[in-house]
Amino acid sequence: MSRKEGSKFKWSLGEEPVKVDKWDGAKVKNALDDAAKKVLKEMGYVETHGVTDTRLAICTVACLLSVLALVYDFFLPFPKSKYILAFCSVGYFFLMSILTLYTMFKEKNYIYWGKQNATGKDSTPKFWALRSTLRRFEHDYSLTIELRRGKSGRTFEAEVTKSVGSWLDEDGILHEDVFRRCVKELHSQVTKKAKDD
Amino acid sequence: MDISSWFDDVRRMNKRQLYYQILNFGMIISSALMIWKGLMVVTGSESPIVVVLSGSMEPAFYRGDLLFLTNYEADPIHVGDIVVFKVEGRDIPIVHRVLKLHERDSDRNESEPPQQHLKFLTKGDNNQVDDRGLYAKGQMWLRRKDVVGRARGYLPYVGIVTILMNDYPKFKYLLLASLGIFVLLNREAN
Repeated sequence: MSRKEGSKFKWSLGEEPVKVDKWDGAKVKNALDDAAKKVLKEMGYVETHGVTDTRLAICTVACLLSVLALVYDFFLPFPKSKYILAFCSVGYFFLMSILTLYTMFKEKNYIYWGKQNATGKDSTPKFWALRSTLRRFEHDYSLTIELRRGKSGRTFEAEVTKSVGSWLDEDGILHEDVFRRCVKELHSQVTKKAKDD
Repeated sequence: MDISSWFDDVRRMNKRQLYYQILNFGMIISSALMIWKGLMVVTGSESPIVVVLSGSMEPAFYRGDLLFLTNYEADPIHVGDIVVFKVEGRDIPIVHRVLKLHERDSDRNESEPPQQHLKFLTKGDNNQVDDRGLYAKGQMWLRRKDVVGRARGYLPYVGIVTILMNDYPKFKYLLLASLGIFVLLNREAN
């Protein structure tokens, strides 16, 4: 079960090259998304988790509601538990709709939010974001990088759309060096746009 | 079959993604649970959906049919109604028809919900004798509180899966474990 004959089994896959089933769209997108995030991390940007954490919080509260219903009904069986069950049920489905709205309108197809702290020369922090699309049964992967100067500055974007075959080989191994060049190119494009403005 | 590759997605996850996998699993279970509890509240029955386990109500219901129940206090139970009841001390619901209704006006108590004072005798359409043999020792009649609900609608055959899972518990655990593992190890695309 270990990766190489005789080596110890490690839980974390660490620095091993990423290998995915090239026909599985979800896994391919996840692999590319993760690689893009890694590039930004290498550049020294700090990932901000606000949006993700909000989504996790909504889901957690929803699950807690259902646990409450389960436990309450166990100790105080129906029909005495009627009102709590009704509250939990309605609350749960209400939260589910909030979650759907949130992922549809706030998270959309973003995969990364990050912050670049203000350095010596310019005083405003910069906010970075990544969006990606890979449609079902399609092979064109779109990656968009966003740069915003300060909290209320203008947002600049740069986009690249290429077949996933540009970075994944026949065996499904992701060539991170090729992909990294691509992401860095996007990064330079958007930095230049912001500078020229 | 390289089982270790099943875990690859999970091994590459950070803490938040791992937590989301668990939450995802939790939400699937919670959705099913909340629909069930919600149905309990809406129908007023502690068991809003039951599976017909025997052929005692043929040709109306066959083994494996799914029944949808309501248990409203405002709906009085009459002779001829098909009711689902549980005998005290046993939790298997039985689906039979009301044969006799025994009422004594002096038993009626205005402060109680209607029909609590009534006594019912039931019998399966396909049975030769009434249900007194099924009731608890010494019990001759059912009370309103024993009734779990009245059949309001049904789906044929669908309940066979439930019967199979009860008769072969290993199949049930295998099915649930497979579903659980699939949900926990599979990472959704953003």
